[in-house]
Amino acid sequence: MNPAAYILPCLFFAVFCAAAFRKVKLYDSFAEGVKGVVPLLKSLFPYLAAILILASLFEASGLSAGLSKALAPVFTALGIPSEICGLVLIKPFSGSGSLALLSEILQNYGADSYIGRCACIVYSTGETVFYMSALYFAQKKEKSSALPVALAIVSNFIAIVLGCLFCRIF
Amino acid sequence: MNGLFLLLFLISAALITVRDPSAFLPALLDGAKDAIALCLTLAAIYAVWLGFLRIAQDAGLLCGMARLMKKPIRKLFHVEKEEAIEQIAVNLSANFLGMGGAATPAGIRAMELLGQEQRSQYARAMLFVVNCSGFQLLPTTVLALRAQLFAASPYEIVFPIFLSTLCALLIGIALVKLVYGRKCA
Repeated sequence: MNPAAYILPCLFFAVFCAAAFRKVKLYDSFAEGVKGVVPLLKSLFPYLAAILILASLFEASGLSAGLSKALAPVFTALGIPSEICGLVLIKPFSGSGSLALLSEILQNYGADSYIGRCACIVYSTGETVFYMSALYFAQKKEKSSALPVALAIVSNFIAIVLGCLFCRIF
Repeated sequence: MNGLFLLLFLISAALITVRDPSAFLPALLDGAKDAIALCLTLAAIYAVWLGFLRIAQDAGLLCGMARLMKKPIRKLFHVEKEEAIEQIAVNLSANFLGMGGAATPAGIRAMELLGQEQRSQYARAMLFVVNCSGFQLLPTTVLALRAQLFAASPYEIVFPIFLSTLCALLIGIALVKLVYGRKCA
């Protein structure tokens, strides 16, 4: 068993005990917290739906495949293997999509290969930025979410290029 | 965002109409289905974590944690409000430990609270970029997948990933400071 698996149950146990010790009404308090779920989802859903519908169309239209083919030479020049261009492109849009692509790459090229290891780096470096922007900028109408999104994508991309470099060093 | 949305939508829609017009509506519906499925998953995750976090809050544990991380957070985000610092502390530590479920609701709360701060744009951009770097102690999903596919050494990838996510984090922070620092000063 992975030792990390013990962290969560221990954390819950410790916090509940500490709360009971400080005479918190656990049942009421827990329910009070859960109350926040519905308004949270209500504000998130419209933005999530818009982003995911766009992501689905982006993939189904073949635009993502075409883009990755067009950008392959650029990526290879930067040291990113051309086999994982699709992963780099889909990553900001879809978490489940990029996970499926990652397992496909690992199966095809082997988890220990250079390509496989680069794919792991690409998957881990950076979150699904557009999905996150839907979550984080949903609360307030904000015109300026484009700039933070661009900054996140640029910094993640530089880190991916560096990560593929690390893969060759280590 | 609106411009990008329109651009991507138009190009994708045009492409799919040329290739296979009957696939257009199913693609949209698939996306919407994904959104609903995701919302259900999120509802379950948030129900557990928000309940848990509320107990931690009522027990005064979040305040304690926020006090520990107050100085670096204040410095990085330029926030003064206790409540916002508390939520950011939860968000950052949950991210670092790989508990995305706990990180997101705290992050969203923090974004809301930061909206009332003086330098709100800077702080919100900073929180968003830091959250997008994917920085965490152990990349659990990748490790599980590698172990499943019989990698010779599933853990070998941990260090390079740690380095590259650290790069993403640092470059992101530097960029936000560069872009917004000039704007707000």
